Amino acid sequence: MAKRPNTLKSGKPRGPFATWGARVGAFLVDWALWGYVGYATMYLLNFYWYTNIHYYGRLTVPAWGWPIVVLGTLELAASSHAFTQSLGLSLFGLRVLAPDYRFPSVGARLKRFLWWQVSVLSLPVSLIKRSLRSQLLHGRLSGTGMYSAKEVGDDMPVLAPRSWYRTYRGLLVVVLITVTVWVGWLSTEINLHTLLTRAPKSAYMWKALVTPDFVHLFTPDPELVVAANPDLPASIFAGLIQSLFMALLATALGGVVAFPLSFLGARNMMGFSAVGWAVYWVMRGLFNIFRSIESLLWGIIAALWVGFGPFAGVMALSVHTIAALGKLYSEQVEGIDPGPLEAIAATGGRRWQVILYGVIPQIVPSFLAFTLYRWDINLRMATVIALVGGGGIGRVLFYYKGQVGRIDNAWNQVAAAIVVIVIVVWFLDYVSGRVREKIN
Amino acid sequence: MAEQLVVEHLSKVYERGEILALNDISFSVKKGEFLVVIGLSGSGKSTLLRCVNRLIEPTAGKVFFEGADVTAAPPRQLLRIRRQMGMIFQQFNLVKRSTVLTNVLAGRLGYVNPWLSVIHRFPPSDVELAMTNLDRVGIREQAYKRADELSGGQQQRVGIARALMQQPTLLMADEPVSALDPATSHSVMKYLEQMNQEDGVTVIASLHFLSLARRYGTRILALKDGEIVFEGSPDDIDEARFKEIYGEEAEHVEVR
Repeated sequence: MAKRPNTLKSGKPRGPFATWGARVGAFLVDWALWGYVGYATMYLLNFYWYTNIHYYGRLTVPAWGWPIVVLGTLELAASSHAFTQSLGLSLFGLRVLAPDYRFPSVGARLKRFLWWQVSVLSLPVSLIKRSLRSQLLHGRLSGTGMYSAKEVGDDMPVLAPRSWYRTYRGLLVVVLITVTVWVGWLSTEINLHTLLTRAPKSAYMWKALVTPDFVHLFTPDPELVVAANPDLPASIFAGLIQSLFMALLATALGGVVAFPLSFLGARNMMGFSAVGWAVYWVMRGLFNIFRSIESLLWGIIAALWVGFGPFAGVMALSVHTIAALGKLYSEQVEGIDPGPLEAIAATGGRRWQVILYGVIPQIVPSFLAFTLYRWDINLRMATVIALVGGGGIGRVLFYYKGQVGRIDNAWNQVAAAIVVIVIVVWFLDYVSGRVREKIN
Repeated sequence: MAEQLVVEHLSKVYERGEILALNDISFSVKKGEFLVVIGLSGSGKSTLLRCVNRLIEPTAGKVFFEGADVTAAPPRQLLRIRRQMGMIFQQFNLVKRSTVLTNVLAGRLGYVNPWLSVIHRFPPSDVELAMTNLDRVGIREQAYKRADELSGGQQQRVGIARALMQQPTLLMADEPVSALDPATSHSVMKYLEQMNQEDGVTVIASLHFLSLARRYGTRILALKDGEIVFEGSPDDIDEARFKEIYGEEAEHVEVR
């Protein structure tokens, strides 16, 4: 491979400087990191000040203070870039080095940091003027540069290894973990005292769980109840069957739709033309967006659309299944052996014949395994989708929970539904696990 | 005899101009020849073969096959040209989970009714031809096994049977024996020789070993860094030429 010329006019080696994407990425990471540290400090100050001393009120940043916060974190990010190997730099594989690939002196680093204050203002000019783009003013004036560690490669200066607790990164990780657990503990209101003193309140449920009442397992509830709640399955068993079919149909529909879409979302099937790339990115985007909205949230939309009941449940599960399976399927398509494809193309096969004879035989087993796995997930989800009006065994469960205080054994009936769910989910988990083992 | 394949000023540049894989390659192949392409790994042998049937799109230059301009052929014509060129590969490139027979029948995809191939239906005459070809490479009894159950040498013979299904006039073999042991290598090379001599199929094979090239080739083309450094009869490669092609530190390795 031909390499770019690697010397300055003066004979000094130069570059390869880091790409702009990596520089900006590293900067954003460090900026976010310092922002987080600032937020955590603020939170802790606030918490202890007003819990132990003032007992009311809240410490906030006034509107005019936000520019200071933004600038402050910006400065911290810039200084960590100049003086240390920050998290952002190491994530993007960057190093601040002198042009001869040595570590710059503290003085040079200080210069870099100070000149940065000025040269950042000229950033727009540098981006337009090509000759200035590779190294900004602060790099030129301080004799340092942002290098890609991978490209500098063997010429990188070697650091003598230190114990992890003496390195910047080691200390940073310890501080970040400590602060995060600390803030998280306060923020989620974890309270060991409450955990112990309020334990007896849950006794009803524990008692019910060991004495579930299966009276309505098969026999329907009095017709009056069913008549008053037309979308309530007649018995726990009826609800269970409904949930099983919901999961089955959602998986089948989702799989059937996801199958063709997964080819559109696979790099190696689409990366031949500009249109192909566009379709690929759109598909991937859709998969990611639809997948990040949980089935329970889709359930809200579906219940508004088609009303409460199992249909809404199937809709919600299907949409999430399409996105989740589409993503998993297309990753499988991307992972196939490309050899057979070129062999079939070489025989004069058309594009779709290549897919039919070269791609599909390779992916069928893993597609089956993923589909079974998805059925498993969908069944678990189908048991609780009733929370947002999705029907199934969950509808029965939450109905009896709503009857607590009106029926004597309501908790025991809730327990009966839970026991049935546990048994069925465990059984399906076991079966699909065994089948998947067989397939692979 | 007529020139069957003419390659003119073929170049291939990879990755935004960083790597020049082929640099202005010109040569021609007569009908019935057994041309062997030799050269180190990365010298451009595989790229050259794939540019001939445009599995890789050349950057510049022209390829003519039996009078037709391959490089300018529209998609449908390209398919018709490709089905006349058989190709076998270093890694065999079989669909491992499909049966041997299905793999061999795939060689017929350029000919069959495309709609029937959707449901994996091939005319009985094609199935018969597949069995005949499997018989020819001596693995008829393996027809219904999965391709990955076969040994390396057997898998390459499936590859040859697949290429035979195309009833090609030109066979390209991209390092067909590099993944095989020496004894198996010769049995595979002998099938290529047989196709060349009995069926009159022109063969272009890229090979690593000079000894194999000398034994089977009627003409040799040597590539180095994407350029032709030698073209001529196998006997003309003396010690100096050998060093030129393979570098100063190269030693002879024989495959017997």
